[in-house]
Amino acid sequence: MNQELSPLQLILDATLPVQLVMFILLALSLLSWVMIVQRFLVLGAAASGVLSFEERFWSGMDLSQLYKEGTQLQAEDVQVVGIENIFRAGFKEFMKLRQQPTVEKEAVMQGAQRAMRVAYSREEEKLENHLSFLATVGSVTPYIGLFGTVIGIMNAFIGLASQNQATLQVVAPGIAEALIATAMGLFAAIPAVVAYNRYTAQVESISGSYITFTEEFSSILHRQVYGG
Amino acid sequence: MNAQLGKVIGLNGYPLSIVVAVILHTVLLASLLYLQGVSQTQDFELVQPTVIKALFLDENPQVLNQQKAERAKGDENRRLAQQAEYERDLANQKLRQEEEQTRQRIDADKLARDKAAKEKIDRLKRQEEEKKLEERRIERELAARDREAGAKSALEDSEQPPAGASSEFELIQSGISLIQQLVEESWSRPPSARNGMRAVIEIKMLPTGDITSAQITETSGDAAFDRSAENAVYSAAPFRELQTLPIRIFNENFRSLALIFQPEDLLN
Repeated sequence: MNQELSPLQLILDATLPVQLVMFILLALSLLSWVMIVQRFLVLGAAASGVLSFEERFWSGMDLSQLYKEGTQLQAEDVQVVGIENIFRAGFKEFMKLRQQPTVEKEAVMQGAQRAMRVAYSREEEKLENHLSFLATVGSVTPYIGLFGTVIGIMNAFIGLASQNQATLQVVAPGIAEALIATAMGLFAAIPAVVAYNRYTAQVESISGSYITFTEEFSSILHRQVYGG
Repeated sequence: MNAQLGKVIGLNGYPLSIVVAVILHTVLLASLLYLQGVSQTQDFELVQPTVIKALFLDENPQVLNQQKAERAKGDENRRLAQQAEYERDLANQKLRQEEEQTRQRIDADKLARDKAAKEKIDRLKRQEEEKKLEERRIERELAARDREAGAKSALEDSEQPPAGASSEFELIQSGISLIQQLVEESWSRPPSARNGMRAVIEIKMLPTGDITSAQITETSGDAAFDRSAENAVYSAAPFRELQTLPIRIFNENFRSLALIFQPEDLLN
């Protein structure tokens, strides 16, 4: 009987199905952490982008100059994030339509708004990307872990059946090995659930500020069209 | 600064996040293994259980008997004392009872004398009152005879709910017959109706007499017939007269009601 009962030893000694479950759980945990960190960066960038862009936008700067700055940044291969994309889409469409004398004022407004709406939904999609993966990991990994545990305990009892004298030493390693699967499942699930809840709230607030900006910007354009 | 951050993050931040995730997992695993190693180096000291020694002590039977005898004596003494006290109480009670009886006898005599005097006065008074009552009664009878004709018809109309189980039954009966009558009035049978058809509709009512739902629980097999029955229920509603029922009777009998539609009087 092996006296040392370290977790590593247990994992290495585990039966194949349990090892497979553990591997899946490890992979899911790794992936979910990749998503968590990546979402953290993206959402953080979007939130700070909203703040910095709104500051520039309301500073009284000429809008066409703001647009040109963005183009320059793009030329330097720096990604333009979130809210600025919406602004650029709306402004571009607005200028294009305005230069054509045959297009009516109403159509100009509608075109600009449509462009912004499209840009908005694209940006929202970017924000919500991978969130469903986190939700799935959060809800499914405990079950996968439980599955591994059940298989492991089953094996332990099958081993017990073949013994003449049943002792705790015979079952204990099997059950301990099986419980590791549950622990791993929970380990993967908890951060995923927390991150999912956190990020959904954040996405909501960011897209809310996108909508507000869209409304404000279109009211400015409206004034330019009708106010002469 | 923004540009620098962008370069570090790069490619939507995937490379960075992968690195972070891998590092996190390895650190966690390593710390787990390390902690396990530390805890294993600690040897358990075997704790020796403390031994408790139990001894049987033989008691001296002579001493035991003596003690028993003393206890018995004490009991006997106490019992005697109790009995003496009890007897004393009994004697006291007897004395008190006798005193009571003599007092009662004196009181009774007094009362009898008082009563005789009072009765004399009362009789006189009563005679006067009776005379007055007689006069009043005659007056009342005269008035009553005048009213009698009107009162009789009024009694018949008012249908006051008399107390008791039979009245409850009557109330239920009258409510049901009312619903029956109203529904029958508004039921127009379709031409496809035949004798022996039978549809059961379960209606659910509110205490206001409004219908909340009417469901066909047993179909007659003819859609038009079922529909006509349903329509009849809906057009007969609301049964406002049910509002006057006591709420308990309503809840027990009218909350949900099964109406059976069965044409028997048709010719064909």
